[in-house]
Amino acid sequence: MYKLLFRQFFKSTTIKVSLVLVVALGIVSILIGKQFLSKQEQTAEQISQYQEEGILRNVEYHKDDLGLLLYYLRFALINQPENLAGLSIGQSDINPNVQNVTILNLEGQKYDTDLINPVSLQSGNLDLGFVIICLFPLLIITLTYNLLSEETENGTWRLVAVQAKSKIAFLLAKFSVRVIAIYAALGLLFFIAKFVLSIPFNGAFLVFVLLSVLYIAFWFALSLLLVSLKQSSSFNILSLLSSWLVLVILLPAGLNNYMTNKYPVPEALSTIIKQRDGYHEKWDMEKRPTMERFYADYPQFKKYGFPKEGFTWLWYYAMQQMGDDEAKEDSDAMKSKILQREKTSQLIGWLIPTIHTQLTFNNIAGTSLGDHMNFLDATNQFHEKMRLYFYPKIFEKQDVQAENWNQFKPEYVAKKKEADWLNGLLPVVLITLLISAISMIRLQKI
Amino acid sequence: MQYKILLLIASHFWKDTFKSKAIYPIMVITYLLLFFAAQSGWQNNRTQNEMRAKYQQKARESWEANPDKHPHRMAHFGTFAFRLQHPLSMLDFGIESFTGTAVFLEAHKQNTVNFSEASFSTGLLRFGELSMAMILQTILPLLIFFLGFATVVTERENGTLKITFTQGASWKEILLGKSLGLMAVVQLFFIPVLLVTLFFLLLSNATLNADILIRFIAVFTAYFIFFAILCFITIGISATSRKSKNALVKLLGIWLIFVVLMPKTSQALGSYFHPSPSKIKFKSEIEDELVRKGDSHNPDDPYFMSLKDSILNEYDVESVTDLPFNYGGFVMSIGEKNSSEIYNNHFSQLLDIYRSQNLVSRFGALINPYIAIKNISMALAGTNFVSYTDFQTQAESYRYNLAQKMNELQMEYISPNKTHGSEGKTHVIGQEHWEEFPDFEYSFLSIGSVLKSEALSILSLLGWIFLTVGFIINLTKTAKVL
Repeated sequence: MYKLLFRQFFKSTTIKVSLVLVVALGIVSILIGKQFLSKQEQTAEQISQYQEEGILRNVEYHKDDLGLLLYYLRFALINQPENLAGLSIGQSDINPNVQNVTILNLEGQKYDTDLINPVSLQSGNLDLGFVIICLFPLLIITLTYNLLSEETENGTWRLVAVQAKSKIAFLLAKFSVRVIAIYAALGLLFFIAKFVLSIPFNGAFLVFVLLSVLYIAFWFALSLLLVSLKQSSSFNILSLLSSWLVLVILLPAGLNNYMTNKYPVPEALSTIIKQRDGYHEKWDMEKRPTMERFYADYPQFKKYGFPKEGFTWLWYYAMQQMGDDEAKEDSDAMKSKILQREKTSQLIGWLIPTIHTQLTFNNIAGTSLGDHMNFLDATNQFHEKMRLYFYPKIFEKQDVQAENWNQFKPEYVAKKKEADWLNGLLPVVLITLLISAISMIRLQKI
Repeated sequence: MQYKILLLIASHFWKDTFKSKAIYPIMVITYLLLFFAAQSGWQNNRTQNEMRAKYQQKARESWEANPDKHPHRMAHFGTFAFRLQHPLSMLDFGIESFTGTAVFLEAHKQNTVNFSEASFSTGLLRFGELSMAMILQTILPLLIFFLGFATVVTERENGTLKITFTQGASWKEILLGKSLGLMAVVQLFFIPVLLVTLFFLLLSNATLNADILIRFIAVFTAYFIFFAILCFITIGISATSRKSKNALVKLLGIWLIFVVLMPKTSQALGSYFHPSPSKIKFKSEIEDELVRKGDSHNPDDPYFMSLKDSILNEYDVESVTDLPFNYGGFVMSIGEKNSSEIYNNHFSQLLDIYRSQNLVSRFGALINPYIAIKNISMALAGTNFVSYTDFQTQAESYRYNLAQKMNELQMEYISPNKTHGSEGKTHVIGQEHWEEFPDFEYSFLSIGSVLKSEALSILSLLGWIFLTVGFIINLTKTAKVL
């Protein structure tokens, strides 16, 4: 019987076309992921070259003033994406993955955005995550909405009722043909992705695949539930498409609106004004209070004393530090608000599989908003490390030539993320089991 | 054609729609969605604009509060431009959330526009935003298809169509009447959007000037045409399908391809085939060109050395300290001019790449009325690409003028004897100069240039309405009663 069901399944042009279309878009999405990864790699190469040339040129120009030289020098910190990021680009097209900073105040530098076409950003990445979250459900709907209703509408259901040993068994067999075809398409895409993007076979990749399998199972369960209601084809396709619209567009988009309004971030704007004023107004003030506050931050430099008249680099970098100090409160408030957004979305994701799957994909791939916030934290540490390395040398007016400038290569952020199996998979498992249970109970009555 | 019959058929369609119970929950849900979208769009518009105006003022206050200073210190003190949202952006968010809101304007340096809403957003933003425009463009077409797909085909299936014919109606009256009826039902959703938008516009602080009113009328006219197109398509498909189920599946397929798949795929392909440079590459190319032209930060730069010689010659003096103006200010004004020119060249090349990325989907407007209405709506709401780059241009030109003004002040008021450095309190000018320089004020693009930028989409929408009307007229000759 299976053979027959398969043959019947592949007879339909709609089915063939929609399967091919989704697989083709899946392959396109993998290529887009590949392009994203290679662009990030290129950027990392370019930044190395840029940093090397910049150091070389400026060391040449300012060979007798270390303080002035470090006014110009830039040092890069790179947040190299995992290969898995090619499957779920997430927020990493919006937020830069390279920080290229001087040792001047950081708050004025670290929020600089990348150069990207805002129209493409709005349209969103066509990554495999999108294909799985948005398009696979549509494919499932197309393939299953008339599972039972076409039989009743064509008048073949009565024949089945008479001939088949069990009506449920027949329906489930027909259903399983679709399940096999769709999982085969998914498997094919993951297989291609694994090799095209050279994704290592590790826990993260496994959770990503398993979550996709479960998410698709959720949609199968939902469509089976509709089948069990024994309604007409038109009713089924409309209900399923409406569910798709609600789950894939309306709920997440509405929630996003809600959060934008609930947690506006005026702190971002006050941060940049404060960091500027905090530094600049020190030019017109007594030097001593500035120095005292600087030494409160870094007591180890107290020995350099209090400059009185005229310009010194000691005073200058202390002024710069005041910009960061005075913006800190607002900057922290901005960060906690942004993390609040992330936390709230994740919480709501427990109830809504689409939201959960998208956020978890990004989390696993290291492309979430939280990952970017971690990168900003790492930038703070990197910046402080560079400052503390150069401060004493500048304050002691060390010779520019005495430094080994070759040692300053771009640095990479260390990542240590474990795949979170439980929180990643459980929400979708629970809701899928629930819906499947209801539809199986209903199907008994067919 | 008998207009009486046409109207009768239209009113029958209206009555039939209300016979089905589905219409009531649909109306309630759509109204709720609309209200939510309108309210959150308005709230966002208000919060953001208040916030941005407040910080624009704060930045200005601290600019004016500066004591007597060396003008170059002020050039580095700089100021900010905060991008204000157009009042109509509450209708259509467009690319608003993906564009930065604040840019720091200082001498020598073109900073990026930072703090887009997207940079604060979680992965949820990927699903889109719920705006009135999104409901009009995405949900309403689906509703139109749902309300109209069955009308002709079911009547054919159950034989009432034949009866209508025997009573003297012709295809023309039936098809146009049903289209009219469907359009009337659509007004149940369309007019509330119009009123709600007007309500919130009145509620917002924006003064309702001619520009806003023209945009308002233009955008709703465009939507009206868009819905008329959809109504004709729906009735046409219904009349040409053999079973009502087929009509529905066809219409839903059209919706999926035109609304979901095509816009996103075409933009993704555009970006794929026209990759844009990374920021590092962009910056380093500008720097390289600047170094080749003349680097004012290099004390031994040949370009500036020869500039110095020619100035000394011109004024017939031995040293720059003998010049009648401050030479440091002069060097910086030349440096600013050169670097701005180079930057603007590269930036316009970058925008060209973005434009070619957008080109695939812009031409998509020709075959896809959804893309056409999307472009027109964004443009009129002031949330499209052109509006954004216009902000960038205005901010950059303000920055340039600010830097050059400070250089002029330096040339004029700072002693020629002082060629380098700007610290200390000896070489300063009075703070009254700070107030003299006006604050940044953003002005929105004129309605004319907005419409011109979307000429292609407008053409497409007009083309589509003619096409679909032609399709219906043609159907009146070929459609089958049985």
